[in-house]
Amino acid sequence: MLVCGRALAGLAGFILLTAGAIWCQDVSSPETILRHAVELHQAGDIAGAIAQYRAYLDQVPDSVMARSNLGAALSHAGKFPEAIVEYQKALELQPANLPVRMNLALAYYKSSDIAHAAAELERVLAERPSERQPALLLSDCYLRLGENRKAIDLLTPLQQQTPADKALDYMLGTALVRDGQTARGESLVDLILRDGDSAEAHLLLGESRMWANDFPGALAEFQKALAINPQLPSLNGYYGTALANLGDDAGAEAAFRKELAMDPNDYPANFQLGKLLLRTNSAESRPCLERALRQRPNDAATRYQIALLDLQDGRTDEARTALENLLRENPNDVEAHISLATAYYRLKRKQDGNKQRAIVLQLNSGKHADLAGGTSK
Amino acid sequence: MRVGLLALGLAALAAGAAQNDQVCAACHAKESASFPATPMAQALFTVDSCAILKNHPDLQYQEGPYHTEIKREGDRSIITVTRGAETFSIPILYALGQGKAGQTYVFQYDGAIYESRASFYNELGALDTTIGDIGIKPQSIVEAAGRRLTPVDAANCFACHSHGGSAGGVLHLDSVLPGVACQSCHGQVEKHAAAVRAGNVAAAKLPHLADLPAEDTSELCGKCHRTWSQIAQTGMHGPNTVRFQPYRLTNSKCYDVDDQRIRCTACHNPHDQLNTNLASYDSKCEACHSTALHTKVCSVAKENCVTCHMPKVDLPGAHHQFTDHQIRIVRAGESFPN
Repeated sequence: MLVCGRALAGLAGFILLTAGAIWCQDVSSPETILRHAVELHQAGDIAGAIAQYRAYLDQVPDSVMARSNLGAALSHAGKFPEAIVEYQKALELQPANLPVRMNLALAYYKSSDIAHAAAELERVLAERPSERQPALLLSDCYLRLGENRKAIDLLTPLQQQTPADKALDYMLGTALVRDGQTARGESLVDLILRDGDSAEAHLLLGESRMWANDFPGALAEFQKALAINPQLPSLNGYYGTALANLGDDAGAEAAFRKELAMDPNDYPANFQLGKLLLRTNSAESRPCLERALRQRPNDAATRYQIALLDLQDGRTDEARTALENLLRENPNDVEAHISLATAYYRLKRKQDGNKQRAIVLQLNSGKHADLAGGTSK
Repeated sequence: MRVGLLALGLAALAAGAAQNDQVCAACHAKESASFPATPMAQALFTVDSCAILKNHPDLQYQEGPYHTEIKREGDRSIITVTRGAETFSIPILYALGQGKAGQTYVFQYDGAIYESRASFYNELGALDTTIGDIGIKPQSIVEAAGRRLTPVDAANCFACHSHGGSAGGVLHLDSVLPGVACQSCHGQVEKHAAAVRAGNVAAAKLPHLADLPAEDTSELCGKCHRTWSQIAQTGMHGPNTVRFQPYRLTNSKCYDVDDQRIRCTACHNPHDQLNTNLASYDSKCEACHSTALHTKVCSVAKENCVTCHMPKVDLPGAHHQFTDHQIRIVRAGESFPN
């Protein structure tokens, strides 16, 4: 996301806590170890700092500052799961420590656990509602989670405060288009284009065309965006989606792979590539869909595709469970009923399968008869 | 020993040109002898061999301002569309369909496959709008000639009308061979034949389609004739569904996913021509409905069951009556059951 890098740079200020209160002590004293850890950390010896923080925490396990600094060092080393553990321990000791919670959110975000990042950012914002950077990062999380309405609610007041912020316009425009508010979204595109042609604007216009099922129109916009900035996050994913909808599977696959080479956790590219490969290469389809699900843990579309994959791979009972859960959430999902019928037949539950098919026929014919205790055909 | 002898015969045939079917014929002589005459084997024609195009050397069709002509020129047939002074002309690549109901043509233009907007209908002995294009107005002379297919649609089209040219959703025109062939249903026949040649009985095993229950047979035939799931997913209903026999059959009250007596192949032998003697299907109904089995029998007639229970339905625009495979008691004046 356009805003993300800037937001992260600003938030990096939360990371290193100082050890100004450390007094010079004996070589082997805990305070000396901590001071040494901070010096190593500041000098860029991350591995050394991590070892010293751990040594200090062995002796002083309740030090919030050391836990937080260890978390920051681990994050710096890309060891996000370990960093998350340290931040969580620090927060157990000081639940109201917002910088630590912000760092925890960042660690989740960087490890592509967007749902948890969003949860932590919501807690930060609940305490500091006027903080702009957590709000922008949270909006980005909402967009990634497909929670467009929440992103709109968060970004609209910010946009009113700073109407000239193109990055913010872009995020809000994206949320609006994805929420189906294309006219309002496109009005923000005009603001972005006021200062000249921009890949972001064409991406947004393309998304808007896709929303209206105008795939040739979307493709044309994405091609314009690609000509300006082929590295724009999510662009290749959307370009591939337009190609897939126009029946160019080979072109779509190449585009999704380009997107994933830049961002292996991009939700649309993982979801679409997983869906595309479902029939031809289930071994590669599954990790794509699982990555997509990690980005959007409750996403019904991804869960449905994984259920289809399970059906195809003979994991019929897993598919049945997933489809039953999906139908509990949305009883009118025709595709899920169709696939559940197949699952039941394979599990030799003929009457249940027949019942699912009867429901499909009723849903398709627009009838709303009471299906309770429905019989087979 | 038997496998060894078969292997010798297969090895000799394998060197020939149209290898697969000939190789299969070495062991499966009966099926291989009758299959070429089936509509499935004749699902696609090259232009030089297409009887309809040869027998109708000058087909004409007028649609609004567009005039379409399919004219024979030697071994080729050319589609020409004119509108005033504007003309678009292109040779036909293949003819799709045996022509019992109709035949549609494809051509290649601008790097894509196009499906002709005009099809030949047997009942008319002439061209009319291709069924999928009814109600769509062409926006250009090229669109009046045909509808541009997406790469996936083109591959799917050839996957059911031909063999050898469509793999993994990608069309390879250079290797297209006309019609459905053994491998279309039976899968990896080359592997099977090679294993037979090598005397490797275990590796020679192919899925035994004759053992499939009704649902699996519907899924197999439905790959081209459309499965219940495919049609249900579209939400399509009304007489348009009558073309999709596995879907209609599945909606029959007597359909049972596990019962081989109601599967497609209980009535149709895919290796042979369609049996048009309707009385010959009575025994198929009697496999379930008979006094001997103490099951429900028809109180109206004792023969020609399908004439009442599987009525012919007019599909608008298709100029052909399709047998409705939703087996049922048809009531006078009832609407088409979905």
